[in-house]
Amino acid sequence: MHIPDGFLDPAVIILTYAMLAVYGFFAFKRIKNSLNTENTPLVSVLSASIFAAQMLNWPLPGGTSLHFVGGALAGIMLGPWLGFLTIFIVLVVQCLVFHDGGITALGANSLNMAIIDVLVGYAIYQFTVKTFKAKDFPRIVAAFLGGWLGITLAGIACGLEIGYSQTFPYGVSITVPIMAGWHAALGVIEGIITALTVAYLRKRAPHIMFMER
Amino acid sequence: MDSSRWVFHKKALTLILALIAISPIFGVLLADIVGYHEPLDVAAEALNLPDLTELINWTPFLDYTIPGLPAEVGYIIAGFIGVLIIFGLGVLLSRMVRRT
Repeated sequence: MHIPDGFLDPAVIILTYAMLAVYGFFAFKRIKNSLNTENTPLVSVLSASIFAAQMLNWPLPGGTSLHFVGGALAGIMLGPWLGFLTIFIVLVVQCLVFHDGGITALGANSLNMAIIDVLVGYAIYQFTVKTFKAKDFPRIVAAFLGGWLGITLAGIACGLEIGYSQTFPYGVSITVPIMAGWHAALGVIEGIITALTVAYLRKRAPHIMFMER
Repeated sequence: MDSSRWVFHKKALTLILALIAISPIFGVLLADIVGYHEPLDVAAEALNLPDLTELINWTPFLDYTIPGLPAEVGYIIAGFIGVLIIFGLGVLLSRMVRRT
């Protein structure tokens, strides 16, 4: 999911950085008013947990791997703005300290994982909470769907960014179906981890599910 | 911080330490044995795209390695470095919040 340097064209780089700048501007305006002594430690604890979870690469047939992304989980727990901040911190540290994800692709990687994945997880979960009120089971299903669909749509966005870049020899007609297919399949695992984590936290630590208050 | 929050943060910290401790199994050892890489790295290799990551590099900790240390140990220390930096950013955020 982390796009390295050398994959994206200047136009895609500029566009994705511009989208990150606009979303980031509104996010930080909202975050400024919502950060408090309760949720600030949670942002760093969740960032650190997701960073550590992303270090575990699971082998897949065909010589490739996958890891948990956690964007939908952050959106479900903290909402679209603090969820964005949580994942953005992870991506910046990965990029600047470990060169995991290119500096030219930081805009695209943030768009995919810190914006799209977070927003999709948040939207599906909130819709379910409002529709089914206090029922537990629909929320767990929503967390699964948020995790699965979030990563699938992030994969499609990644396919578009790579496919529209001339540097990459294949166009969107190939990159999008491949990225969508792989991420739809692998997203099942992301969905299961997201659903299990939400189920556990709702039972054992409901006070940290800020978006459910 | 009330006791339930403290218990949660303690559990989260334990989880983070456990994840970092086992991370070389999935990030280094299995990768070497099975020979797997990130999907986009596999694509780049198959398409003979230039690997700019190593050509344009600004960090001594490239790919979660620590110069002079075995890959497995370096991976664990890199994990701790990442977590410490994130907690450092968290402390800065907390100070900003308290000031406002």
